[in-house]
Amino acid sequence: MVKGRIISGQFGSIMVRQKSGAELELGELLVAEAAGSKILMQVIDLVYGSQLSQQSLELISGLKLEENADLEFMDAELRNYNLAVLKNLVTIKGNSAMMPKSLPEFFSEVRQVEKDDIKFLTKPKNPLFVGKLRSGSKTLDVDIFIRGDEVFSHHILIPATTGKGKSNLTSCILWDCIDKDYCANLVLDPHDEYFGRTGIGLKDHPMKEKVVYYTPKSPPPGARSLRVNIKSLRPGHFNGVANFSDAQRQGIAAYFRRFRENWVEAILLEKEVGVDFQEATLAVLKRRLMELLDIDVFDGKLVCNDIFTGSGAETTVEDVCNELEKANTVIIDTSSFSGAVEILVGSLVSTEIFRRYRSYKMKGSIREKPVVSIILEEAPRVLGREVLEQGQNIFATIAREGRKFKIGLMAITQLPSLIPREILANMNTKIILGIEMAPERQSIIESASQDLSADNRTIASLDIGEAIISSNFVKFATPIKIPLFEELVKEYQNTHNAEKYSTNYSGVKLK
Amino acid sequence: MKFAHLADCHIGAWRDPRLRDINAKAFEAAVDTCIWENVDFVLISGDLFNTSIPAIDGLKVAVSRLKQLKQHNIPVYMVAGSHDFSPSGRTMLDVLEEAELIANVVKGSVVDNRLKLDFTVDKKTGAKITGMLGKKGMLEKAYYESIDAKPLEAEPGFKIFMFHTALTELKPKGLEKMDSSPVSMLPRGFDYYAGGHVHIIKEESLPGYKNIVYPGPLFPNSFRELEELKCGGFYIYDNGSMTYRPLQIVNVFSIAIDCSQKTPEQVEAELRKETEKKEFVNTIVTIRLEGTLKSGKISEINLKDIFTELYEKSAFFVMHSTSGLATKEFEEIKVSRQSVEDVEDALIREHIGQSRLGIGETDEIGLVKELIRALNIEKQEGEKSADYEARIKKDAVATLNLKEDFS
Repeated sequence: MVKGRIISGQFGSIMVRQKSGAELELGELLVAEAAGSKILMQVIDLVYGSQLSQQSLELISGLKLEENADLEFMDAELRNYNLAVLKNLVTIKGNSAMMPKSLPEFFSEVRQVEKDDIKFLTKPKNPLFVGKLRSGSKTLDVDIFIRGDEVFSHHILIPATTGKGKSNLTSCILWDCIDKDYCANLVLDPHDEYFGRTGIGLKDHPMKEKVVYYTPKSPPPGARSLRVNIKSLRPGHFNGVANFSDAQRQGIAAYFRRFRENWVEAILLEKEVGVDFQEATLAVLKRRLMELLDIDVFDGKLVCNDIFTGSGAETTVEDVCNELEKANTVIIDTSSFSGAVEILVGSLVSTEIFRRYRSYKMKGSIREKPVVSIILEEAPRVLGREVLEQGQNIFATIAREGRKFKIGLMAITQLPSLIPREILANMNTKIILGIEMAPERQSIIESASQDLSADNRTIASLDIGEAIISSNFVKFATPIKIPLFEELVKEYQNTHNAEKYSTNYSGVKLK
Repeated sequence: MKFAHLADCHIGAWRDPRLRDINAKAFEAAVDTCIWENVDFVLISGDLFNTSIPAIDGLKVAVSRLKQLKQHNIPVYMVAGSHDFSPSGRTMLDVLEEAELIANVVKGSVVDNRLKLDFTVDKKTGAKITGMLGKKGMLEKAYYESIDAKPLEAEPGFKIFMFHTALTELKPKGLEKMDSSPVSMLPRGFDYYAGGHVHIIKEESLPGYKNIVYPGPLFPNSFRELEELKCGGFYIYDNGSMTYRPLQIVNVFSIAIDCSQKTPEQVEAELRKETEKKEFVNTIVTIRLEGTLKSGKISEINLKDIFTELYEKSAFFVMHSTSGLATKEFEEIKVSRQSVEDVEDALIREHIGQSRLGIGETDEIGLVKELIRALNIEKQEGEKSADYEARIKKDAVATLNLKEDFS
């Protein structure tokens, strides 16, 4: 269907007159035919056009308003129309697409995109389904896949204003990953929303055995209670979690050197460390650790009130890492934790998996391992400029170096501008949902893999579930419509009915 | 209410008859203690035997002691473990239950694809006992998933849940890779969770789960367990208080030597130093050698003489582990070949000439390959182990062109 005709403009800003009744939208995909190729373009702005002078228009509108004159334009559709500004996305030749380097033919027609035009959007190796291709507000029946292993290890940023569908998108991505062997996901879930304890969630996946759920609050059958032995804690885990003074840091180091894995217990029980520290330093250190870990000291014994314990749970961190190595999805419910404890738990697991993968890399066995993606909600809490100015943490290390070791971050935030530019630039895939605040949009546009300088308005106009993928691994900044998670689950369950088998209960004396 | 909680008796375990005998003695001692303590009943949380069809000797010990408990009106409740369970149902536990020496508490019915477990009520105390068997490779997980927990949790009274499964939250360091299930798979609100399968001694309470207890084995089941546990034991629950009862049948003396940068002579000297001026009456001695020798071969450490000396000092049993010991003469070789044959060939060529056989290199390679082939032949279906062993030995002897009486 013809939508308009190219009338003027320049590269990246092509002016099209809209055909009457065609209704162009911001973000709409259009195609212009050229000799031996097609040029895929996208609407980035819409303006009015008229053959009448501004003065005439003002006069006519005055007559209509003030005198209620029954005036009509002669050949109205010829005289008054809409103009659309288009940017070139790709040049399509056969089944391949390349960066556009030329303009479409002057005065050529533009038509709406058809399925046949985008045959170059093929399913890659290790595909990750993110949604369907979107043209403006219309969803096309074209599934958009990105290469999961590459995308995960090169980090993903999901910026959006509240209510634009961040959680829905994350749920959809996690759902798609569950039955894949190339990736594992570690989800630090501050709202306890992904497992679906009370509603639809990842627990409803036909391969739910690949979803491991840790929670400190009465775990449902099959879930694991989240407890961590204090012996698992190392001084480095507190980086980015608590700001210790230099003296306190030295105290921690001295205790760790002397007591190794029992260092926390030694501080809390005020054991002799053999190095002179001011009493106040150690007292503050003890008080801060007690507060952070929610541990009391009573009668010379530790009384653990929260997830950190002195007895049992010795393998929690290892268990989580083992599950990740098996390409499983591990969800840690951190909804009842303070921000610091949540980050501490995340830091513990992330440090261990990073250590393991670094060692696999050295041994040459990393190829056999799945890529691990760590999902971080409210990412500026650990990747924010202010946080990083106070010292590095494991998440910043992963953001910088994780790619080499097949570990990536999936950072979710409303405020991408708080994340330093060099970290944003390292996030090679950005799935941009609607962002209303201009500074936030600007930080994303400046660090995107494709040139989004003309897309400011498009990003602001993204509705719930609409997104743009900007990535090193897509041919162009791809507009997508993310499915509603509940519908995705239903559809998946209908098409992937898990093979039902009856248990024979051998060994159970049945009546 | 007073009851004993045993698990992982593994009667019939250990290849050596002396250790097998000690293992059986541990079971006898446990039963004696139960009778002496006048417990109301005994729980065995799986792996009474080491195999589903145990040898006659072990069976005799078990039957005679279970009979003794019955005579003292002490019922035995148990669940099958991963060792004594048989998918075909050919397990000695069924025979023991037929003879009313034990009661298997894993019973119930399947209603709407859910497993409804029934309680076995102890007549004397009114304790309500149920549980789940253990299977190899955590295959019982599917059973747990289908348990209808609500009626079990709603049941009033003193309730015991027996299980033979590793619990994720209770696994100790070192067993990270062991298959396990989360505690949440168990029904909540029981008064005692009698565990088995993991050879650790542990009692723990978690929210909703009171008294989760692993008593560990009755007797250590491996070299490492001998080193770490020294002895086995079981728990006695007496009106809310729990006591671990160790069973010290023999002593265990463990020697671990880091052989790094040492010669075989130095290792030998260190071993002698560890054992000098000591007597080893009724003692199992374990010797663990680890690290990479500075020079020489592992076979140059004269363990035979040290063993003799220890036996002369009345040691009950001496055993050693050199699995963590390496020698520079046999460094790890990295080969990037495609087939097994290629890898074998590369390894043989790398090591050829280290043993003086007095034959040419080509013949030596041929001999090693032939020997690998001879030792690689698998046991035939229906072939008895003794016949298989004899056949392998005969082939190997023939390959090496040795005299027949060598075997």
